[in-house]
Amino acid sequence: MNDGPLIVQSDKTLLLEVDHERAADCRKAIAPFAELERSPEHVHTYRLTPLGLWNARAAGHDAEQVVDTLLTYSRYAVPHALLVDVAETMARYGRLRLEKHPVHGLVLASNDRPVLEEVLRAKKVAGMLGSRIDDDTVAVHASERGNLKQALLKLGWPAEDFAGYVDGEAHPIALSEVEWHLRTYQREAADSFWHGGSGVVVLPCGAGKTIVGAAAMAEAQATTLILVTNTVSARQWKDELLRRTSLTEDEIGEYSGAVKEVRPVTIATYQVLTTKRKGVYPHLELLDARDWGLIVYDEVHLLPAPIFRMTANLQARRRLGLTATLVREDGREGDVFSLIGPKRYDAPWKDIEAQGWIAPADCVEVRVTLPTTERLAYATAEPEERYRLASCTHHKIDVVRSLVASHPGQPTLVIGQYIDQLDELALALDAPVIKGETTVRERQRLFEAFRAGEVGLLVVSKVANFSIDLPSAEVAIQVSGSFGSRQEEAQRLGRLLRPKSEGKTAHFYTIVSRDTVDADFAANRQRFLAEQGYAYRIVDAEDVGA
Amino acid sequence: MGGMSTTAHRTLADQLRSWSDERLALLLHERPDLATPAPHDSGQLASRAAARSSVLRALDQLNLLELCVLDALVVVGQTSADEPLEVVAGDPVAVRAALTRLADLALAWESPQGLRALTTVAEALAPGTPGVSGLRPVSPDPLPAAEIERRLAALSPPARALLEHVLDAGGTATTGTARHGVGPEDAATPAEELLAHRLLVPRSGGTVTLPGEVGLVLRGGRTTTYDASAPPVLATSERDQTVVDRAAAGAAFEMVRRVELVLDEWSGAPPSALRSGGLAVRDLRALAADLHTDEPGAALLVEVAAAAGLLTTAAGPDGDPRWIPTDAFDAWTAKPTAERWLALAVAWLESPRLPGLVGSRDPSGKPWNALSPELAGMHQVETRTLTLALLAGLPPGAVLAAGTGTPSLVARAEWERPRRPRTRADQVAWAVTEGSALGLLGLGGLAGFARPLLAGDGAAATAALAGLLPEPIDHVLLQADLTAVAPGPLESGLARQLRLVADVESGGGGTVYRFTPGSVRRALDVGWSAAEIHGFVASVSRTPVPQPLTYLVDDTARTFGTVRVGHAEAFLRADDESALTELLHHPKAASLGLRRLAPTVLVSSTPIDVLLPRLRELGVAPVVESPDGTVHVARPDLLRARTPKDHRGRALRATREAAHVSQVVGAIRAGDRTESTRPASAERLTPAGSMAALREAIETGATVVIGYVDNQGASSDRLVDPLSLDGGSLTARDHRSDDVRTFAVHRITTVRDVPA
Repeated sequence: MNDGPLIVQSDKTLLLEVDHERAADCRKAIAPFAELERSPEHVHTYRLTPLGLWNARAAGHDAEQVVDTLLTYSRYAVPHALLVDVAETMARYGRLRLEKHPVHGLVLASNDRPVLEEVLRAKKVAGMLGSRIDDDTVAVHASERGNLKQALLKLGWPAEDFAGYVDGEAHPIALSEVEWHLRTYQREAADSFWHGGSGVVVLPCGAGKTIVGAAAMAEAQATTLILVTNTVSARQWKDELLRRTSLTEDEIGEYSGAVKEVRPVTIATYQVLTTKRKGVYPHLELLDARDWGLIVYDEVHLLPAPIFRMTANLQARRRLGLTATLVREDGREGDVFSLIGPKRYDAPWKDIEAQGWIAPADCVEVRVTLPTTERLAYATAEPEERYRLASCTHHKIDVVRSLVASHPGQPTLVIGQYIDQLDELALALDAPVIKGETTVRERQRLFEAFRAGEVGLLVVSKVANFSIDLPSAEVAIQVSGSFGSRQEEAQRLGRLLRPKSEGKTAHFYTIVSRDTVDADFAANRQRFLAEQGYAYRIVDAEDVGA
Repeated sequence: MGGMSTTAHRTLADQLRSWSDERLALLLHERPDLATPAPHDSGQLASRAAARSSVLRALDQLNLLELCVLDALVVVGQTSADEPLEVVAGDPVAVRAALTRLADLALAWESPQGLRALTTVAEALAPGTPGVSGLRPVSPDPLPAAEIERRLAALSPPARALLEHVLDAGGTATTGTARHGVGPEDAATPAEELLAHRLLVPRSGGTVTLPGEVGLVLRGGRTTTYDASAPPVLATSERDQTVVDRAAAGAAFEMVRRVELVLDEWSGAPPSALRSGGLAVRDLRALAADLHTDEPGAALLVEVAAAAGLLTTAAGPDGDPRWIPTDAFDAWTAKPTAERWLALAVAWLESPRLPGLVGSRDPSGKPWNALSPELAGMHQVETRTLTLALLAGLPPGAVLAAGTGTPSLVARAEWERPRRPRTRADQVAWAVTEGSALGLLGLGGLAGFARPLLAGDGAAATAALAGLLPEPIDHVLLQADLTAVAPGPLESGLARQLRLVADVESGGGGTVYRFTPGSVRRALDVGWSAAEIHGFVASVSRTPVPQPLTYLVDDTARTFGTVRVGHAEAFLRADDESALTELLHHPKAASLGLRRLAPTVLVSSTPIDVLLPRLRELGVAPVVESPDGTVHVARPDLLRARTPKDHRGRALRATREAAHVSQVVGAIRAGDRTESTRPASAERLTPAGSMAALREAIETGATVVIGYVDNQGASSDRLVDPLSLDGGSLTARDHRSDDVRTFAVHRITTVRDVPA
C-alpha cells in the first residue's frame, strides 16, 4: 500500500483527496490527461476519457507518463485493465496524420497500414478522400480537412494535424499594459494556445477570458475574426479591446444584425452568421471577406451547429475557443475537440478564487411552500405547464422583496425566465426590467447606470446570461431558469464573480417551490455548483430576513 | 528419484518387485491410474502398466525430449544405457535425466539384454505424433554402420533420392513391380537396387521397409533431426517483485469485491437459468456493463463463484430455475478478504471450466453461455497447473514480457506436453488472463503470495496476501453534492448499510455513493426511520453532514407513507353511514373481515362470491359494481368439471413394471445357478492373474500354455507365444498350427509357464 492521494476506480474515475499533503502535486500531474468532473469540498473526481487522453497526446504527453503518474500517486493498486486501456487509447492518436505534401497538397498519411485501410473502408469518410498516392498516403480534398478530422474522431482514430496554418493578413496589434498587467494564468493560457496552434482555453467566468483573447491576438499580429454570442457582448469585446490593446476605434468593426462593418478586427455574432434566408446563409461570405489570421470563438460551449459546419472549412486558420465549461448540454464535446482543437489550458475555479481573481460566493437555496390552492392547481396541471406554475408562484415575490431588503446598498440582479413574472417583480420592486424586447440602446443605458451605481436593482431575463460584464453586481436572486441547465447556472453565477472591492463575498440566491419539478430542476443545477466546490445552504422562506 | 538400475531383470514385474517403496510410490503418484483399484501384486501392477490405455496416459505426461528418448529406445531396441545418449541429439545430461524418468514411469525397464521400452509403447508411439522420429526398429541382425555407409555411397542418385523419400514417408513403401531377391548387378530400377543392397527390406503384402539402422546412418547416427533437449525459453522482462505483488493483490481484492457485489445483486434479483443450464447472454452483458469489464471477464467471475459453491441454480420466487447465491455465500462474506480470495483461487485452480470461450461461438455456431454445463474441458486443470508451474519456475522479479511473453509460454507448454491438443494455445492464454484477474498473477508474473498456494499451503498464501490488502476503513467523507466517498475499502457491514441508503456511483479501491430521494426511500422502505438515517450518516462521516443531505432525508421522509396501500378482496360502500356501522357491528359479520376506511367505505377480506351470499343472509341487499362503477347484474355461473383422464395408462404401466421385475428376478436366479455349479478348486488362476502372466510373457517373449475354451465349448491346452494383448483379445503364435491367431481373453481359463 502506497500512501498517495489518488484512488483509481475501475470505471476510469480518479478520486483525489484534496486534504492530502501531496494533493497539489498530484492535481498538477493528472490535469493534462484527466478531466475534472467534480470538485466538491473533500474529494475531487477526475475522469479518464478518450478525449482527455488524446488532449494529453496533443500536448505532447505519452502513455508511459500517464501510467507512471497513476502508479506514483495511486493509493491502491491500479486496475490492470485500465492501464492497458490507457495505453491502447493513447496509441490511437496520431496513427493517422494530416500533412502537407509538396506535390499533392493536403494528404492523410499513416505508418500503420491496417489502420489506414480500416479508415479508407469506412463509409463515413467516403468522398472526403482523393486518390491513393502510395501505400501509406491518400490525398484529401482541401475543403474536407475539418470534416475528415471530425469523421476520424468518430471512428476512434483521431488524426494529428500537421498541415499547418496560413499566416493570414498581417496587422500590428500590441497589448497596452498601462495600469494593468496580464495575470500569470492569462499569460500561461495564451502561451499554451499559441504553442499548440489551435485549441480551447477553459477559464471561469470573470477570470478575464477576453484578455486571453487579446493576448492571443497580440501574438498572432494578424487580422482577427471574433465570434460572440450577442450584440451586447460584442460591444463589450470592443470596449475591452480598445482599453487593453493598441487597436483604435477604426480598426475594430462590428458585424451584427444592426451594423455590418468588416475591419481588420471584426466582431460578429453567432446570430447573424447563422441567419438563414431561402435556404442559404447570406452572411457566410464574412468568413472569406478577409484573409483572417486568427478566429476567436467566445463561449465555445454554446457554439451552434451551423457554426461547427462553417468551422470545418476554416481548418487552415488558427482557432481559439474560450469558455467557462466544456460541458455541452448537447454532448458535442468531440466536435469542439476535432474542429476547434484540443483543450490547451484550464484552471479550477477555486484556484483562481483563492488567488483573489474572482470573488468568493455564498450560494443559498430558499424553499417556498406552495399554498394548498396552488398545490392543487399544480397537481392537476399538464406536465408542460407544471414548471411554469411552480416557478412563478406569487410567494416568490415576497421572498425576493425580503432578500433585497436584507442586502441594502448592494447592487442586486433578479434573474428569471418568464417575462410575466419579471414584469410583476419589476412592479413590486419598483425596478427597471431588461428583457428580449428591450432595445440595445436601452439595455446599454441600464447596464451603464448599474455599473455606475445609479441603479441598484435590475430585473433581467435570460438575455443577461452571457458575456455581459457587470462587475459591480454583488447579489443575484434567480426565481426561475431554463429547466435545470447546468451551464446556465454557471453563467449566472459568473455574473457575480468579478472581483469585488474589499474582497467582498457575492451572494447567490435561488428561490424554488418545495415538492415540485422546480425543486427537482434546482437540485440538478445545484449539483453542478456543489461539484464546482460551492457548498450551498438551504433555508426556508419563513426564515428569510429573520 | 531412483537412478538407473544396473541389475537386469527377467520381467518388468521382477524389476518392480526389486524397487524401493519410495520408487514404487513415485510411480503410483505419477501414474495414478495404476493405483485404482489397488493392484494385488507387482505382477498385476506390471500388467496394468503395460496396458495400452495406461501407456497412452503416461505418454501424455512426457515432454518432447522424453518422447524423443523413448522413441530412440524403440528404434535401437534393447540397448546399453549409453546408446540413447548417442542417438538423441542434445545435452547428454538432459537425455540421461529423461532416461531415468522413463524408467521411473515404468515405460522402459532393464531386461537381461539391456534397457528396453515396453512393447506397448512402440505401438502407442504413432508416426507423426510429437517426438516420434518415424524410423523403424533396428533389425535383429543389422549391418555395421560402416558397411551401410559404404553401400549408400555406392548408390545411384535416383536410388538415393528414393531412399530418402521412403525415410521421410515414415520408412514404409510399396514396391510395385520391383523384383525381390535380385543381385546388385541385376538391379534394373532404383527400388531393386536398394533391395539388392538390403537398404530396403521386403515385408509381406508387397511392401518394403527401411530398417532402423539405415535410417540412423542417413540421419547421421541420430534418430532426431533437431535438438529437443533445450526447452523453449520464456520471454521475460524485469519488474520489481513488490510492484508485481501489489498489482496482484489489487486484482485479488477487486475480484473478491466484484463477486460480493454480483452475488448481493443476484440475491435480490436473480437472473433466470436457461433450460440448458447456462446464463443468458443478455444477463451476462448487463453484468459486464455493470462491472466495467468484458464478457469473458464477467463469465470468469460467475464461473468462479459457482465453482466455489457460492452460486447455484434453484427455484426462484416464481418457481422458475434461477441463479441464486447459496447459503455458503453468507459464511463467505463473513470471512476476511484474504480468506475469501483463497476460496475463489482454490476453486479456480481446480475448476475444469472454460470461461474464456464465452463471447465466441461453438462449432455449430451457437454462442457459448456462461455457466452452461458444456463449458468445461478435460485438460483445463492440467494446462492451468502447468502454466502456473512454469511461471513459478521464473525467478522473483521476472515477468512475462509484454506481447511476446504469452506466445513463448505457449511454445514452452507445447514442449512440456507435446501430445496435448492444439487448442492449448488458447488455454494457456486464458490461464494467464484469468490468473491475472484473480490476482495469482500481476503484470505477467506470479505473485509472491500465490507461490505457497501452488505448493498447497493455503494458509501461508492467505497470510501473505492479508499483509498486502488495504485495511478496511470505517468512515466516509460526506460532500455537499450529496455524495459520500469511502477513501478505501469499507468494512463489509458498513458497506452494505451504505449501499442501502445510497446508490453506488463508482467502485474500485474506493467507493463513491450518491444519496438520492430514491435511495433514501429505499432505506425507509425497509424500516429505517429518518432519525436513524441521520444518526447513521453522522456516525460514519468523518466530515460534518452537509445541510442539503439533511434536507434530502427530511424531505423524503416527509412524503414517505402519505399514500397507504393495502390488500382487500372487496369493498362495500353506501351513502348511509349508519347502515355500514350496523353491518360492521353485526355479530355474524365478524368472519367477513370488515374494516372501515372512511365513513362510507368498508373493505372486506372475503372474496366477493362468498361475501355476496353471506351479506344476503345478514339481510342486506347488495348489488355488485363493475370496474367502471356501473351496477353489474348476473345470474350465478353453472358449474362444470373437467372430464377425468383415461385410466388405461395406469394398467399399462403396471404390466410393464411386472415384466421388468420378472426379468431382474430371472437374472438373479441365473446368477445363483452359475455360482452353485462353479468348481470349488482354488488352483484356478484369477482373470487378473492370467492377464498379468500373459503380459509378462509378451514382454519376455516367453512361451506359455493356455487353457482355452473354443467355440464349441470344448476346453483344450494350447502352446503359444503371446505377441500382444489388447481390446479383450490376445494375439499369439500358436505352436500347434504354427500361425498367428487371436484368442478371446475371456475364454482363456489358465496360463501356465512352460518348464524350461
